[in-house]
Amino acid sequence: MSEQTYIRSRWFEDIPVGEFHVFGSHTFSEKEIIEFGRKYAPDPYHTDPSAAFDTPYRGLIASGWHVAAVWMKMMVQYMERFATGVQDGRRNGAGVGVRDMLWLKEVRPGHTLTFTYEIIEKPEKVVRDKWGIIRSRNEAFNQNNERVFSFEIDILAERNPDGL
Amino acid sequence: MPKTFQTIEAGQTLETPAIEISEQDILEFAAEFDPQPYHLDRAAADASIFGGLCASGWQVCAVMMRLLSDSFRNADIALLGVQGVPEMRWKIPVFAGDQLTGRIEIIATESDSKRADAGRVRCKIDVRNQKDQSVMLLTSDVLVPFNEQVAR
Repeated sequence: MSEQTYIRSRWFEDIPVGEFHVFGSHTFSEKEIIEFGRKYAPDPYHTDPSAAFDTPYRGLIASGWHVAAVWMKMMVQYMERFATGVQDGRRNGAGVGVRDMLWLKEVRPGHTLTFTYEIIEKPEKVVRDKWGIIRSRNEAFNQNNERVFSFEIDILAERNPDGL
Repeated sequence: MPKTFQTIEAGQTLETPAIEISEQDILEFAAEFDPQPYHLDRAAADASIFGGLCASGWQVCAVMMRLLSDSFRNADIALLGVQGVPEMRWKIPVFAGDQLTGRIEIIATESDSKRADAGRVRCKIDVRNQKDQSVMLLTSDVLVPFNEQVAR
């Protein structure tokens, strides 16, 4: 099997800066936008298609946090295809924090987002004697290839004990 | 009429209601958005970095949004969503039964949000559990309309 087969169980040291993935696409339905909105962002532009027309958004839009949650869903689906081996199959994945998250364009029912990430940095910091930090830039593009969402996230990756 | 951008001042604070996260809430969110063992399976979670079944960090973000939306509504401030999050950190896991509240402090206002209809209100938001521990800390740029006519 290729090295990429074990993408999720790689050590910190084995994850290269510059690695780029197009990792999933998702089409947002009206139903799921409303369900998420009712639970977590109960403002009319997320919950009520007709009331949404009377807001500046002129129609229903997905909550930004719904877009972020779908980013996670796509990431897990993509990683699961390559996870194997160690304990629960993971040496990396727990999130530490996020920077520069921006919602650039509305996501409406029927819109399809495609998600990408690139490893941009491996800060020199050891967390709890065991973990390194992998920083990636993540973006989502709609069906017209417009960038609608972007952010950087730091995740923990286990350092190879032979290298410490 | 709801309050508009012009009435918002740096230094204002908002208290939020409390929301309890049940095990069922954690499992449902994880099944749809974050199906990893530490959010889905008690035994796997106990052996994981988190030390127990805990909510997806993105669920904590979603609950934070609910706290933000409810507190703006309670304060009668119009809200057109969140434009961005300059910085956010997950500090400790959220476990089943935790009750989350938020402390929202308005730290700056900026009329030039690149939108004609709304200004940007930068909030520092500290999401805390029932033990008064900070579980998530973020700054968030919230959009508040200039005109009450669009403030619905």
